[in-house]
Amino acid sequence: MIKKLGILLMISVGVMSGCNNSAMEPEEINPEIDVCEVCNMGLAHEHYATEIVTADGEIYKFDDIGCMDEFLEMEPLLKEESAAKKYVRDVGSGEWIELDKAYHAYHPDFWTPMANGVVSFKDRESAENYVKEQGMGEVLDYDSLKKHEWSWGQ
Amino acid sequence: MWRLTGPLAFNFFLLLMLIPIHTYADEFKVEVGQSIQEAVDNAKNGDTILISPGLYKESVLINKEVTIKGEGGAIIGGGGEGNVITVTASNVVIDGLTIQNSGSGQEDSGIYIQSADRSLIKNNTLKNVQNGIYIANSNENQLIENSITSNKAHFSKRGNGIHIFKGGGHFLKGNEIAYVQDGIYFDFTKGIQVSENHVSESRYGMHFMFSEEISAERNHVENNVTGFMVMDSAHIDFIQNKVTDHFHFRGYGILIYETKNVQVEGNEILRNSTGLSLEYGVDTLISRNQIAANQVGLEFMGKNENNTFSENNFIGNVVQSKISGDDMRLDDGVKGNYWDDYSSFDLSGDGVGEEAYKAGSLYDRLLRKQPYWQFFFESPSIKLWTKAEALFPSFGAADVYDARPLVEPVIMIQEAEQRSKDRMIPGVLGILFILFSIFVIVKGRKLR
Repeated sequence: MIKKLGILLMISVGVMSGCNNSAMEPEEINPEIDVCEVCNMGLAHEHYATEIVTADGEIYKFDDIGCMDEFLEMEPLLKEESAAKKYVRDVGSGEWIELDKAYHAYHPDFWTPMANGVVSFKDRESAENYVKEQGMGEVLDYDSLKKHEWSWGQ
Repeated sequence: MWRLTGPLAFNFFLLLMLIPIHTYADEFKVEVGQSIQEAVDNAKNGDTILISPGLYKESVLINKEVTIKGEGGAIIGGGGEGNVITVTASNVVIDGLTIQNSGSGQEDSGIYIQSADRSLIKNNTLKNVQNGIYIANSNENQLIENSITSNKAHFSKRGNGIHIFKGGGHFLKGNEIAYVQDGIYFDFTKGIQVSENHVSESRYGMHFMFSEEISAERNHVENNVTGFMVMDSAHIDFIQNKVTDHFHFRGYGILIYETKNVQVEGNEILRNSTGLSLEYGVDTLISRNQIAANQVGLEFMGKNENNTFSENNFIGNVVQSKISGDDMRLDDGVKGNYWDDYSSFDLSGDGVGEEAYKAGSLYDRLLRKQPYWQFFFESPSIKLWTKAEALFPSFGAADVYDARPLVEPVIMIQEAEQRSKDRMIPGVLGILFILFSIFVIVKGRKLR
């Protein structure tokens, strides 16, 4: 009996540690139920979704990178790299990329779910290709994105 | 009098414009095996092209002012790439066609109208298309009584029933839309009349983004994730719509977010996860709605300013109101709303209760921060908490109240019509039952 309890205990410990997202990895989007933390819109356009994963294992999801930035303005504590990791997706492949490593293409007329016009990519090359393809816009890296004025802030 | 001559001259000029330059408008007929595109290429402005029944496998570009009319059973099937019909000319009529198999790109559509005005799209059936009808940078088009369904995929992979991007002045009536992403999507658009449409089995019934001056009347949205999703828009009117059965986990009847000047009047908002939700809503007027049988009737989040509520019926909602926002008053100073959990009395006989109705509780605010605490809903401790809070109102919840609560529900005409029919059956059954009972009693006595 005691042995069985021990096994049960060990399994539960295993399950609990399994739940603990210590690597602060992003979570897959479920378009059926996930909605944006800020604007309530469903995450139907999955490749435009972004996430904040906090050190406590809390995951916040957003439909558009602009909503994530708005959320960070409201929760300045999460701006610290140690408090939370911010992820965006490469719009082509859907690959999760940390915000400070990503590149973005920006033009007010680029379509994004909340019309912020910022589309994210895994490297500078694909962002430049997108700008070339669309025939308009500019490429932003992490530093210029920080200085970017969002449409919700205007 | 001289003032009128200006407009008159202008009208006369307009009339002149209407006189066709060519004398004859021809009528062509296209049979199966022939190409519709060829017929369009050979036509001139004002011509009519009749399509005989059958399947036409082609994509059509309409760049002239022509009328395309399908005889029953005329089907145009795109090859699963791009748009099926692209319209780039004004004054085009598309009537009575079945249009299917568009591509699956984000803007691929059954009918794509690009920079073209005053077209009439009527009585068409669109199926297996990414978007049904996509109208970009165009004005004053009419979409009447079309039926639209998208692909069989999950709604995140489908397009919208009708997508309107920029432009405006359109008129949408009697369209039947199901199994799309968003039934009607208003994207940076203006001045649109939407009435008597039916949207079901989709993500959002109607989705308003950055749009203005849209009037939605007598539409029925049901069984979607959310009925009306209104974001970053202004001057939107919802009059006498039915918003029912949005029982999705994240479902709302009407969700208003960062929007100004919304009028919600005479709607039936029934059986939704949340009936009506306001977040950063400004200058809204919400009156004479039936908000009933929802899990949460009314929800306020964040800051809402200058909103007026009056003569709404809140009946049979599991949770009447859920409030995690700022203070608000829920009456217009003369009349408030009917709340079926209001428990005070009308002593003066003017139909208004003497005590204010207090909406929401401290629990609501906790739930916003800790959604999992929903588990303790209606538990003794939460009940005690809510009661204690009612006795000591300074406890910290937002002060949202109705100072003029009505003691009788507001009677709405359209609802009364429905009821009179339904009431007949129980009445007749009751009379039959009574007659049978009397028969049994009388006969029973005699037999003994």
